[in-house]
Amino acid sequence: MKKLVPFRQLAEAAAVFFLAYACAVRSATADLNLRAQLVWGTNNDKPDDPKLTEVDQQVKEKLRGVFKWKNYFEVNRQSFTVIASAPKKVRMSDLCEIEVQNLGNSSVELKLYGKGKMVVRKTQKIKSGELLVLAGDDKNDTAWFVVLSLIER
Amino acid sequence: MINHETEVKLQACLDGELSPGEATTLETLIAGDPDARSLFEELRATRTLLAGNELDLKLPDTREFYWSKIRRQIELEERRTPAGDGPKPVSAPWVRFLTPAGALAALVVLVVIALKNSDASPSELALEDSHEIETPLEETSSFSFRSEAAAMTVVWVDSHRE
Repeated sequence: MKKLVPFRQLAEAAAVFFLAYACAVRSATADLNLRAQLVWGTNNDKPDDPKLTEVDQQVKEKLRGVFKWKNYFEVNRQSFTVIASAPKKVRMSDLCEIEVQNLGNSSVELKLYGKGKMVVRKTQKIKSGELLVLAGDDKNDTAWFVVLSLIER
Repeated sequence: MINHETEVKLQACLDGELSPGEATTLETLIAGDPDARSLFEELRATRTLLAGNELDLKLPDTREFYWSKIRRQIELEERRTPAGDGPKPVSAPWVRFLTPAGALAALVVLVVIALKNSDASPSELALEDSHEIETPLEETSSFSFRSEAAAMTVVWVDSHRE
């Protein structure tokens, strides 16, 4: 007697679905490869400090498009990986530290510490090609920036 | 005088329906009984006349053609309802194909929706920019804004510098 409903095929299809969903769920908590840059913005020319380098053109253009300062110099750059189970602390300077936690689904929690105290906490979805920037003013009409971006592999 | 039974036997003898023993007995009777002989002759004459003057019944078709028509009709009926097969559901072939294909298509749609909602791939655009911001220090405040043109989210920390 011919079966109207192919239960065997449906069972196989259900197994394929659960496998695909498991892969999707697994990839949703994938590790994040990030880059953090400590940038100094000023309208003056580059000072004679060998530790300062020109920030890359893409970041410079983006910062110029939003902020008033003309020149942007990279003070420090750190590349790191954040896994879902453990936040990552990264020292950007003697006074500045950040902590990044992978919340899954490309979301991160970014904490900025100044002189050991948490200054600001931000939760954000981070996308490839986009920047998450924590910024504030500094002395002599300059500004500091912590630029967080996703590293594409 | 012959009785009715003898009359019937005489007719049966003419038709060849008597056994050899009965036929011999009846022939003896016919030879010895004038009434039996007279009736036997009369019946034989009638039988001869009838057989010789029977009208021929002609069919409109020849014998071969007539029976071939019947054979063709039987074959036609056999082709319409093959022997041994019961009635089949009209939808059986497409149901066998479409049911698993439809289930597979539904699964593909579900997987795509699951992947889209989970935002698994880093290269995909985020659907929503959910965010939280906290500034615990009393002497600082902050505000957040986004520049779509620069593809950048900024949190400005104001330390109330004078």
